[in-house]
Amino acid sequence: MTQLTHRELSEETSNPIGMDGIEFIEYSTAKPQALGLVLEMMGFHPIARHRSREVLLYRQGEMNVIVNAHAQRQPRAAELTESPVIAAIAVRVHDAAAAYRYTIDRGAWPVTTHVEVMELNIPAIHGVGTSRIYFVDRYRDFSIYDIDFVLNPGVGAHPPALTQLHWFGVVQYIGDQRTAEWSEFYSELFGFTVLPDEQRYGILPKGRILQSPCRSFYLQLIEPKPGIFEVDPDETLQRLGLGTPDVLATVGALKQRGVGFVESQGVHPGTRGALTQAYMGSVMFELVHHEKQ
Amino acid sequence: MKSNEAMLSSAIEPPLRNILDFGMDTISLAGTLPAKLAAVREAGFSQIMLSARDVVGHPDGFEAAVMAVRNSGLRVTGFQVLRDFEGLSGNLHQYKLDVAKSMLEMCHSLGAKVLLVCSSTSTHASDDADKIAADLRKLAMLALPLGIRVAYEGLSWGRIINEFTAAWDVVLRAGASNLGIGIDSYHILATKTSLEDLDFFDPQKIFLVQLADFMWQEVRTAEERMATARHFRVFPGEGVHSDALADLVIRLDRIGYRGDYSFEVFNDDYQQMPVATVAERARRSAIWLGEDVLSRAVPLPDQIRLRRGELS
Repeated sequence: MTQLTHRELSEETSNPIGMDGIEFIEYSTAKPQALGLVLEMMGFHPIARHRSREVLLYRQGEMNVIVNAHAQRQPRAAELTESPVIAAIAVRVHDAAAAYRYTIDRGAWPVTTHVEVMELNIPAIHGVGTSRIYFVDRYRDFSIYDIDFVLNPGVGAHPPALTQLHWFGVVQYIGDQRTAEWSEFYSELFGFTVLPDEQRYGILPKGRILQSPCRSFYLQLIEPKPGIFEVDPDETLQRLGLGTPDVLATVGALKQRGVGFVESQGVHPGTRGALTQAYMGSVMFELVHHEKQ
Repeated sequence: MKSNEAMLSSAIEPPLRNILDFGMDTISLAGTLPAKLAAVREAGFSQIMLSARDVVGHPDGFEAAVMAVRNSGLRVTGFQVLRDFEGLSGNLHQYKLDVAKSMLEMCHSLGAKVLLVCSSTSTHASDDADKIAADLRKLAMLALPLGIRVAYEGLSWGRIINEFTAAWDVVLRAGASNLGIGIDSYHILATKTSLEDLDFFDPQKIFLVQLADFMWQEVRTAEERMATARHFRVFPGEGVHSDALADLVIRLDRIGYRGDYSFEVFNDDYQQMPVATVAERARRSAIWLGEDVLSRAVPLPDQIRLRRGELS
């Protein structure tokens, strides 16, 4: 056995599955075209479609968004609804099979996948609610899209991001008094760490922020507002956070493309962040002032 | 203004008693699940502890059982019981994981927030405290996305863990937010474990308290404990350990425990009595504990009490 250096050892324990950022975010919806229009308004481009299923790939810069309109009849899978739901986060990892085994050994629920002939089997575990967490290790020399997707004719495969938009993270709504438990879920299985309370981002400074072990994105856990009496609120991935070095420039660019922003007394676009209106009943984006590392 | 119907119903209802903290367990009653649910409800209880056997035994299947529970108006105290889970390896571990997953899925479907796990009696299980803790931590992780808390209980005939104090140590060693202990008065009375340590427990880590008495002064051997536990338990106040039971409940209340108490009464005689008769005995027990032992205030008519999970 080779001796691990201190640095290697510390990386191994703090980033146990070799996480390396977000590969894609997947929405599921029965209205893929309408969601496509919202994504295009946000600066994404339709790039490719799946060979055998009604699944579309949108991209800008490093951000890939999958729109899945292919009904899955599996237990604990998101049903196709008109209002899109964030159905999966795919994370880049050093070795997808190893990451899958590591998380299953610690109590994650495996997702049974049904792949067609010659399609990639992307290992996944169950996340919050009906969502999944995929592990992708093919993102350097060639990508998962090279195999399962067909490029749309006449489009560039790598459109630049609007005003340097990049993944900031995902906001997760959780049940009452569930912050400690969900923090443990992400720290035990992946090595996420809790950001100190004084280190805040954006304009909605509430909830707990967890930093990915690769330090490239964040998860924000938000409990229901105190005093709101709701029995068993649904736990769900609620919205995407997009980082930008200049929030107001991004807001301006997006407004020109038709995106509306929440402008209330408590929440309105500022230099720290902005919140788009909700489209299709559920799709909203939070802009956060953040320089890409 | 009340409708005539409401006035009529309040006129014929017995005076309100404070038994909100207490619930019955399906294992104490004979008959079908719907009959058990109805009897518990009619005796004035608001919650019920469900046994997997009673649920899957519904004549129309599991889905029908879920509907019956959800339509009963009763809150589910918890779901039991996962046995001999911890400390196994290889195929046995994998097998028990599958069983655990199945129980967690049932628990989730039924709207149960607590899964009761009893300490292992298996001779195949390891006695390594770290292994036991790691397995419980893994179980807690499986339960976490489903919003289920795992209550680990030390069976008095458990091979390694057989007292609530030992269960507590393992739970602390495992260190998972949704893993706590379940306390069953029967096992404490059977092993005559001192309650002194209870004063140092964090009440937030006690996820469930089950109460039962029995008729013998002593149960010395593991076999005797098992036989008594499975056939001769009685409701609190009906046996010979009323003072010790009252002491336990008062101590729990004093350290700040505000969770549920469920009557875990396995009794062969009660299995051949009408469910309403048995439920009435449980009601008397709950009134004794609620009003005499814990001195809970008797609710005023129309007073609404909302507690976390009360309406779920």
